[in-house]
Amino acid sequence: MSLGDVAITVENSVVIARLTGEIDLSNAQGIEDAVAAGTPNQALSVFLDMSALEYLDSAGIQLIYQLKEKLGIRGQSLKLVVPSDSPAADALKLAGVMDHLDTIESLQAARG
Amino acid sequence: MTDKPVILGSPFPPRTGQVVLPPAASELAPADQVRSLYRLSDPALSEMGLEEFLNELLARVQEVLSVDTVAILLYDEEAQQLVARAAKGIEEEVEQGVRIPVGRGFAGRIAAERVSIFIADVDHADIMNPILRDKGIRSLLGVPLIVEGDLIGVLHIGSLTPRTFGPRDLAVLQVAAARAAPGIERARLYAALEHEHRVAMVLQRSLLPQQTINVAGITAAARYMPASYDVGGDWYDFFQLPRGRFGIVIGDVVGHGLKAAALMGQLRTALHSYALEDHSPAQTLQLVDRYMRSLSETAMATAAYAVLDPETGRIRLASAGHLPPLIVGSGSARILGVPSSPPLGAFSYASWTEQEASLEGGETLLLYTDGLVERRGTPLMASIGRLLSVTAGADSAEEACELAVEHVLPFPRLRDDIAIVAMHYGTLPDELSIRLPADPPVLADMRRILRRWLHHHSVQENDSREILIAVSEACANAIEHAYSPAPAAFEVAATRHNGELSFVVRDQGSWRSPRGENRGRGLKVVEAAMDEVEVKPSEQGTEIVMRKRIRK
Repeated sequence: MSLGDVAITVENSVVIARLTGEIDLSNAQGIEDAVAAGTPNQALSVFLDMSALEYLDSAGIQLIYQLKEKLGIRGQSLKLVVPSDSPAADALKLAGVMDHLDTIESLQAARG
Repeated sequence: MTDKPVILGSPFPPRTGQVVLPPAASELAPADQVRSLYRLSDPALSEMGLEEFLNELLARVQEVLSVDTVAILLYDEEAQQLVARAAKGIEEEVEQGVRIPVGRGFAGRIAAERVSIFIADVDHADIMNPILRDKGIRSLLGVPLIVEGDLIGVLHIGSLTPRTFGPRDLAVLQVAAARAAPGIERARLYAALEHEHRVAMVLQRSLLPQQTINVAGITAAARYMPASYDVGGDWYDFFQLPRGRFGIVIGDVVGHGLKAAALMGQLRTALHSYALEDHSPAQTLQLVDRYMRSLSETAMATAAYAVLDPETGRIRLASAGHLPPLIVGSGSARILGVPSSPPLGAFSYASWTEQEASLEGGETLLLYTDGLVERRGTPLMASIGRLLSVTAGADSAEEACELAVEHVLPFPRLRDDIAIVAMHYGTLPDELSIRLPADPPVLADMRRILRRWLHHHSVQENDSREILIAVSEACANAIEHAYSPAPAAFEVAATRHNGELSFVVRDQGSWRSPRGENRGRGLKVVEAAMDEVEVKPSEQGTEIVMRKRIRK
């Protein structure tokens, strides 16, 4: 049983990376690599869907920043899907980074 | 007496000095001389075993015919060779594993042409067998061993002095061949079955999980005991699931043999896979049932699948016609009654219901297959009741399995295989103190233990989440920054004083102030999540003490 996992889908130049399970020091780097590898050059933006994530801490937040930087070099944007009552939202708020990141409440909100 | 070859009844021209003989009429042999051979009947073989039987047979042939050597070579179809299997007189043949190509030399020709051959005066060019050549064999007589039209080997006798073997000798040899052939064939079939049995055993073992679980106070243990004569389709399994839960499985494919063992492997894999997809126990059984019914062969299996939530001790269980699980290890050891339900693979569109149970700290869930409790002359429920009473005091998963096995002791020969699997829900002290290796994967285990402890103290979800992040960050810090690459450990302690919880993460490394944005962020998270945070570096290591007042 892996602690955390990521499922990547690509739709119309948009990558959706859905995170599940838990992300901590033990697996953050692997998850980051998987998202970067699953993002084609032609993609315009990446949605990191954290709504099903059960645990996130500073190692996961580090992942977000590194991914943002990598994608930025290719001119791709990173958006986080973080419902306000989710464990991921707690972590982002505790670290004081919620306001510095491009977050949305749900994927539906992005589509609407 | 002529040295010219005599050809009788063979389409093949013999070589110089060889005589191909027609089948002899056994009546030609004096009854008293062959009687001892007839006495070597099937019951004798089954009592003796093949080795002893062949030795006995060859000894009697040697005695009756007064020959210097007698030997049996068996046909290796794959290699197209005859292999020396048993011999009297010149035993080296067998010891050295002499192999003769079919079609060549004396024995090889008997095998290829399925005829009896007599050589009055051996021309050593005719002999492929180096040992017979070295020993100076002079005369030879051999017959093919045939079972239901298939060649299985050659039986031959030899003399170190020139000798004419007549029809009487041939008749005796043919009687011996007729006696030996079916026994050899049967022994070969046994060997093939034995081989299948071994393959099945290896398959069976390789499919059962070897590792054990020891996480967050949850331990698992299991036993598998094969039946004496056959391989069965029993299996067990246990695994970790998403959200820190644990799955435990027992199953029994109806039937025996390699097929049952192979199907067991398929079902075990299917159930494990569906379970990892986070389906409920009832849904998982339904998916396994559909999978099973999609296989071309009709088969049935019983199984039970339970999921344990370590935070609360709650179990959800679904059973497909399987025997009721036991909960042992406390004052209230009990049989977990399951509603009657269909087995897997039996009916179209079957579905299963789920039931809930709860484990207290210190209790063990025990699942088993029918081989453990089915005793001739004992009603099943009485036998399960007895199993409950012998395992009631089990203090661990390991002990529960041990006691369950003792329950069937002394087992003479098991008619059915037995699988037992147990999952223990350890007690949690009011004050937590654990020591963990400084290795990132233990962080998740630490959170499971802490989550259970927080639940035990009725801490609300919001507080619980913040505490988990803070303590996990402190532990990650201990792992990541306080150590050299050498193996190391750290400690986590949790205590409660009224409305205040205290947590201490202690390591033996020398403190390095947080460097880089990431670590700085980690400490920031700890400070934001807790009411008070103290970092105490000392000669012995570093302590991070965190306190939080919790909401009622």
